[in-house]
Amino acid sequence: MRSLPKLGVGLAYQAPLRSLIERAGDDLQFVEIVPDILWTDLGPEEHPRYIDEQEGVEYLRQVRRSRPVVPHSIGLSIGTAHYFNRDHIGQIRRWWDWLQFPWHSDHFAYHLAEHQGRQVNVGITVPLPRDRETLELIVPRIDEVVRQIPVPFLLENNVYYFDIPDAEMDEATFLNTLCEESGCGLLLDLHNVYVNGRNHGFDPQALIARINLEHVGEIHVAGGMELDGFYLDAHSGAVPDPVWKLLEWTLPRCPNIGGVVFEIFGSWFDSLGEDRVRQDLRRMKEIWRQSLGNVQVPGLISQRSTGAA
Amino acid sequence: MSLHTFQSCLAQLIVDPDYRDRVRALGNDALAASLTERERARLCRIAADSGLDINRTLHKGFRLGKLRAMLPLTCQLLGAARLAREVSAFWVECPPSSFYFLPEALEFCKFLAGRKLRVKYLDEVTAYERATLEIEKAGAVPPPQRVRFRHDPRILLAVLASGRRPRAVPHRPSVAICARDGVGRIQWRLV
Repeated sequence: MRSLPKLGVGLAYQAPLRSLIERAGDDLQFVEIVPDILWTDLGPEEHPRYIDEQEGVEYLRQVRRSRPVVPHSIGLSIGTAHYFNRDHIGQIRRWWDWLQFPWHSDHFAYHLAEHQGRQVNVGITVPLPRDRETLELIVPRIDEVVRQIPVPFLLENNVYYFDIPDAEMDEATFLNTLCEESGCGLLLDLHNVYVNGRNHGFDPQALIARINLEHVGEIHVAGGMELDGFYLDAHSGAVPDPVWKLLEWTLPRCPNIGGVVFEIFGSWFDSLGEDRVRQDLRRMKEIWRQSLGNVQVPGLISQRSTGAA
Repeated sequence: MSLHTFQSCLAQLIVDPDYRDRVRALGNDALAASLTERERARLCRIAADSGLDINRTLHKGFRLGKLRAMLPLTCQLLGAARLAREVSAFWVECPPSSFYFLPEALEFCKFLAGRKLRVKYLDEVTAYERATLEIEKAGAVPPPQRVRFRHDPRILLAVLASGRRPRAVPHRPSVAICARDGVGRIQWRLV
């Protein structure tokens, strides 16, 4: 993957975070947006299919005057076997026309399926089998995305509370192969890796060490919570210490990265407090500053560079 | 085709607890014939995995969250217990088809209208919230929406918005009109 513009520290937009975004000053270099929260997909039979939420779009236009805005979509469901939503790519392209983002991303998962002839939308990112068949489905789709939207495209490693057994590949091989064969970059969500490691009993850093970090274009950090014996990727609090350690280890090894983003749901913002969010943003910025002065191209894995569009 | 069926079954395991229970009880016999042996084995193991129940919880939370976000006054008026009952019935009748908030909320409004519940003010409050959603759905130049109130809408809506349940709202027939203003904001006025 080609090197992304080095934006620095970002915050995932939620409406309750507006005042923080407006007052963040140097603590924040860019804003990430799940664009799907600012539009509605009325379905393929409707025209226009996508309705932008006007007030939200106007707010983003204002933000864009002072900071880059990077979309992190959730609506593509790129892993859905029976259907590929090309209209969604067209909608992202329309947003690129006015937002001019330096890269964009979605999730390496699916949430849309078909049952007895009708669409079923699970509403959460469901894991994909780590098989050759999955890659053969997705790689040509990434090519379509990249041909329509002329900036690098990243996919995020998924969080999963059950694993699909009898996989053909371990997770690192699956992610590496995806990036090598498609040319897409990796949005490495460290909290997802931490959550998966904690719930499924593996060492997150050992997994990250097996990922070709040259593919990483962006990193996510977040906090979570316990529920029914599981630790959830709930975006419900401050970044926990083990995730800070993962960030400190990983970031200097990502030579092509463009940004690190803190994710928190707006409904948790008040309980965490603006001071703590800003404190975490500053800590991210300091790690970013230290890492940029010490970029270590990993020698562990030497694979061909594919060069995203 | 097989991956298509596998994804369909996996989605059903998450959204449909009856199907999950059948797979848990019957194993292969509850699964589609077109699946490969490996896919069947995977689905049987996933059905038994407690992580599946977490996905079910997250799925329900997401679906309910859409209604709470888009129809806060209707949810407040129904109250927790009745809302839970109505949402459960809604989920049985209307499986999840859209990722987006607006279609789900409009579908729930339609569902509630068909239930003919004996909840005072419900038809007025739901019509009010539904009108706003219809304006949003229509995009930049929507036709105005009219809502007929039998009770004073300023009192009724203010009580609900403050997180309380309305009691004895004065009878005051009126019509409220919802439209976008010159800069695209949704505005209400009473006539």
